[in-house]
Formats: sequence, structure tokens, C-alpha cells
Amino acid sequence: MDRRVIFNNKFLPYLLLAPQLAVTIVFFFWPAGQAIQMSVMEQDAFGLSKTFVGLANFKELFNDPEYLKTFWRTIIFSGAVALSALVPALLFALMAERVVRGAMFYRTILVLPYAIAPAVAGVLWLFMFSPSVGIVAYWLKKLGIDWNPKLDGEDAMILVIMAAAWKQISYNFLFFLAGLQSIPKALLEAASIDGAGEWHKFRTIIFPLLSPVTFFLLVVNIVYAFFDTFGIIDAVTSGGPAKATEVLVYKVYYDGVVALNLGTSSAQSVILMAIVILLTAVQFRYVERKVHY
Amino acid sequence: MKFAMKFAALAVGSALSVSALAQNKPIEIQMWMGLTGLGGETLTKYGEEFNKMQSEYKVTVSFKGQYPEQRAAAVAAFRAGNPPHIMQMFDAGSGDMMGAKSAIVPVSDVFKRAGMQFNAADFIAPARGYYGTKDGSLLSMPFNVSTAVLFYNKDAFKKAGLDANKPPATWPELAAAAKKIRSTNAANCGFTTTWLAWIQLEQFGARHNIGLGTQSNGRAGLNAELNFASNPAFVKQVQTIVDMQKEKTFDYKGRSNDASAAFQNGECAMITQSSGAMGGYVRDAKFDWGVAPLPYWPDAKGAPYATTVGGASLWVFNAPNRSAAEFKGVAKFLDYLRSVPVMTDWAKTTGFLPATNAAFKYLTDEGFYAQNPRAAVAIGTLANGKQGEHTGGYRFGRWTEIRDFYHEEVEKALQGKQTAKEAVENAQKRGNAALRQFEKTASTN
Repeated sequence: MDRRVIFNNKFLPYLLLAPQLAVTIVFFFWPAGQAIQMSVMEQDAFGLSKTFVGLANFKELFNDPEYLKTFWRTIIFSGAVALSALVPALLFALMAERVVRGAMFYRTILVLPYAIAPAVAGVLWLFMFSPSVGIVAYWLKKLGIDWNPKLDGEDAMILVIMAAAWKQISYNFLFFLAGLQSIPKALLEAASIDGAGEWHKFRTIIFPLLSPVTFFLLVVNIVYAFFDTFGIIDAVTSGGPAKATEVLVYKVYYDGVVALNLGTSSAQSVILMAIVILLTAVQFRYVERKVHY
Repeated sequence: MKFAMKFAALAVGSALSVSALAQNKPIEIQMWMGLTGLGGETLTKYGEEFNKMQSEYKVTVSFKGQYPEQRAAAVAAFRAGNPPHIMQMFDAGSGDMMGAKSAIVPVSDVFKRAGMQFNAADFIAPARGYYGTKDGSLLSMPFNVSTAVLFYNKDAFKKAGLDANKPPATWPELAAAAKKIRSTNAANCGFTTTWLAWIQLEQFGARHNIGLGTQSNGRAGLNAELNFASNPAFVKQVQTIVDMQKEKTFDYKGRSNDASAAFQNGECAMITQSSGAMGGYVRDAKFDWGVAPLPYWPDAKGAPYATTVGGASLWVFNAPNRSAAEFKGVAKFLDYLRSVPVMTDWAKTTGFLPATNAAFKYLTDEGFYAQNPRAAVAIGTLANGKQGEHTGGYRFGRWTEIRDFYHEEVEKALQGKQTAKEAVENAQKRGNAALRQFEKTASTN
């Protein structure tokens, strides 16, 4: 109750907080404030003329069918990435948990992709699937599949989803494995004695007990797909062909950095900021509560 | 806020101490470029050579990413009050630079302030028209000048039973050659192209003397509107590529320079490409190849006309803290770059075209073009081709973005999601929307 006793000095707690606060202010509040300010202005690339335009940039965005398409595309992309990163991860975790001999070896191998930088992961996949030089593209051609992510938007989308999900599988795997290990063995043994099969056990015991972990990972994966896939998309497709792989965060980059259209780009970052705040709120509200099962 | 002030104070403090130190040291001149590979290495070398020649100035040539990234970096540096002294900007960015009048100092003025002689007429006419103003002064200094040409694989031509010394001159001939190459399986891909918008829209327009927009292709005013979709030739061209893609005689290999590797490794037998790529092919292509002028439509009135200028030019940034001595250093370095020995060395090493008349004359007199007919093709179609109303280039703001509109819309047509006509019309419509925004922000400064 009386925790205040620990600090006799009134300023010490603030002093200890200061570095973290400084980092947050410089790297978050300051740029975020600038983004909000720029989102209500119209200006040229060099900042020579600035006019206050109110919410015109936002209005323009929501009246732009291209932007709304990007929104849907991002939802599909994030959903697909989350799903294709969660399902194999769960499968791997289930299998890795059964392994007795060499368990550490398998686990290390499965976690390895997480240590790879997004751009490097992107380039790896780009090379394997490149229509002119890629080995996988060569196999696909042998199988008679017309594969050209440079032109076919769906091919390109599949490619970035795979590259983005591949990296995230390791992260999910770790959490699932930890989740599996915390399931009381007694429950599973009791089920076995009652004659439950593997699938039955998974469906009625393991999966329900894993659900808080799964929900947490779902949110984390969606946030990842929304915001952290820029490097992969930039390296693999640069948002093309014909915008087929341009997700929200890539559009912010393109409009701001390539097209130097700072007002629109800032308005988009403000929208993204709202989304991430919302997602975090959802996570805190539901996950934190559900964790105490 | 306090933190911001401290931060600013620190930055100002260190800037002051640096300028105090600079009293005895050579004056630093920063130049940013967007070239990689051979071109980048050569340009960096010129900076080092200039530093060895004199001790008053120290030029640093640095690579800040490909043109679009480097442009973004320079704009950010300008907003922070410390842009590079000289920036290399590719053709498509010219309109934006010209719209930002107080951000730049025209090169003609830079030389005038330094008390040095500068005559815009020293530069080759097409580049002068592209980067100059109506009163005859130059806004930026043309440096790496290129134009679009057709590269073709002579070995593949022979294998297909085509005449390797008679490259296709027109689009129908090119389509027929590509078909032959595919049917004989002389190469896996008949034809591809780099720089889709630059070649199929801009260069194509010049080659047939068709305008892209009103106000003399944007050069007479910011209120210019794109009107290329009203000319059926652009639609026909997109349709041709779409049809060729369907019968697999054309392969789309991506935007910008992505397709170049497919020619260099022998996969594609023909490629429309920037003449600046020549140096790389000389070094890396393991087969016999030739260069031909950019194809045209024989039924177009008066065609073929000259192609237009591409590549990049050098812009001088203005900034509140720039001293007269720094501008003088900039003029000295630019003067070195435009000198005949540098220009001729540049043209010979990289395959770019000489930007000055004197360098062109020197190379011709020396017999360089007689000995290197492949290098002569580009300068032939650019400088010696028939000039028309629309061969002198264009000037539109936000053109980098508008090019991408064109890329996207044509990609959709290639995917079969829309017709060629829709592609060209949509590109124009989106382009005009961007131009109207540019007009709003550019005319107020």
C-alpha cells in the first residue's frame, strides 16, 4: 500500500523516467504532432507555400476510390498474412512439443527467420520467385503455371503475403509453444484415459486453452501486417503492379516520399495512427481481461 | 518544446563552430547524385580530380539513393535549411524544380554571380530547349543526356533467320521480328521495354510530333492540361503492346530499369531503353548486339521526328546560409564538369551523350562516332532528327507521379482489366488532377 516510501527524493522518480519520456517525445509525440499539423495543410514539396485547408485532405482521401480500394486491400492482406502465419505456427508448435530428442535444435531452426531483416526476407523471396532467374518460378513454369508477379497482381499479392507471413511464423511459434507448455498435463492425461483421440483433445482442451494466446497473436499479427511489412513490400513489388500490393502504409510512403504530396500523406498517417490506437485499445481491453482464465 | 529548443541550440552551435573552422580550410561543396554503377563511379572520380586540381574548394559527390529517393532527401534537407549545393535531378523532376522558384538559383545566374562566362548556346540544342527558359538562360546544367533507342541482340536475329544488320525501323516491323524470334525460339522473349512512360509516352510523342498537353507541353504555363488521350496514336501504341503481350512476343518486365537485365542476359532479343545503358552492355553483354533508332509508325504524318532528351541535369540549390564563396565554388566545379575533356570522357565511358556542342564536335572530329556506330545512333536521332513543334520536351509538375499513373493504367491494360483506350484516358484524367493540385501550390510561391 505504502509504496511511496521507496523514493525519498521527490525528483528521483521523474529523473528516472526522463530518458524514456524524452525518447517518447522526440520519436513519437513530436513527429505525430507534426503529422497532425501537416495533415490540415496543403503545401508544395519544398515547403515554400503552406495554406491551411482544414479537413480537405481527409475529405479528398475518403472521396478517392483508390484510397478506399487500398483500405480493402490492406484488410485482405492483413487477414491473409495473419492466417497464414498463425496456422503453420500452431502446427509447428504442436509438433515441436512432441519431439523429445533434439528439441532445442528444431526450435532454434524454427525461430531463425524472425532474426532476418524484413528487406532481406523480401529479397530472398523475390529471388526465388523472380520470373527470369528464380528457382521456384522455374519449377512453376515446368508445372505449366503462368507465374509473373511483375504483371499479375494476384501473383504479386500471393508473393508478398508469403514473404510477410514466413517471417512472422517464428514469432507465433514461440508464443504457441509457450502456451502449449503451460497447459496442465493432467487435463490431457485425463482426456486420454477417457479415450479422447488427438483431434478431440486438440478441439476441446488445447485450442480453448490456447485461445488467449491466439487472440493476442491475432492482434499482434494484424498490427504487424498493417505497419511492419513496408520493407518486404518495397523490396518485392514496390506496391505494384498497378497498385495490386499497395497497402495503407506503403501508400503513405509513396505519396509522401516519392510523390512529395505531403498533405495527403500526413492525413493518411493520422488515419493509420487512429487505427493503431484502436487496435491497441482492443488488445488491452480484451486480452488483458481474458488472460485470467 | 524545451527539448526542441535545446536541440536547435546545439545544432546551431555546432554549425557555428564548423563555419569558424572553415576559415582556413577549403570551402566544402556538396553534390548529390542518383547514379549507380559505372556512371556513379565516373562522376565521383571527377569530384576527386577537381579537388586535386585546386585547394580552395573541396567537392564531395555522394550517392543518396536512386533519383526519387535522392530527390526526397534533398527536399527534406532543403526544408531543414541545409540542402546540397548541387543536386542531380532526373528529367521527370524538372517541372517540380522549376515550380519551386525560390528554392533554386538558375545556373546562368550562378555563373554570372561568380563573374564567369556562361553561354547557354554552348549546350546541345535539345537539352537547351528542355532545361532553358524563354529568354535563353539555363535553369539547370544538362549533364548526363540520353535519349531512347532500340537495342537488339544480333545473335538472336541470326538464329531467327533475320537480317542482323537491318534492325526493325517501325513498330509493325518490330512486331514481325518479335514474332519470328518467338516462332523460331531464337530467344525466350521477343521484345521488352524499360521506362514505360518515358519511352512509350514521352519519347513516342516526340518521335511522332504529338503533344502531351496544352501550353506548349506545359512550358508556357502552370495551367497546362494533358490532352494526349485525344490522340489515337497513344491508344494504338498501348494496344500494340497489349496484343503483343497476349501472343507472348512482348514480355512486361516491370517499371524503370527492371527489364534491362532481361536483355543483358539474352532472354529478350529486343529492348527499348535509354542510350545511357550502353556502357553497361558493352561491359556485360556476352553476345553481339546493335543499336537502332526508336521505332515509329510509318502511317503517322511526317514521322519519324527526332526523339527528345532524357537523363538528368544539375540544379543549384538556394539556402539562407549560402555564402557568395560557396556559389563561386559551385560555378567552378560546374565549369570543370562542362569542360571538353570531362564531357568527352563521360560520353565515352558511360554511353551518355555529350551535353555540349564543343564536346560533340571534338568526338566527331576525333572519329569516335565513325568508329563506334552504336554510339552514333542516339545522338543521330536526338540532335540530327527532324525537329517539330513537340520534339523539344515538355515541362509538367509532379511528373514522377504522373508517370506512375501511366505505368499503373497500362499495367492494368496488360493484365486485361481494362482496354488500351481506358488506360490512356485514366492516366490523363489522374494526371490532370495532379497538375491542378500542383498549380495551386506552385503558383503561390
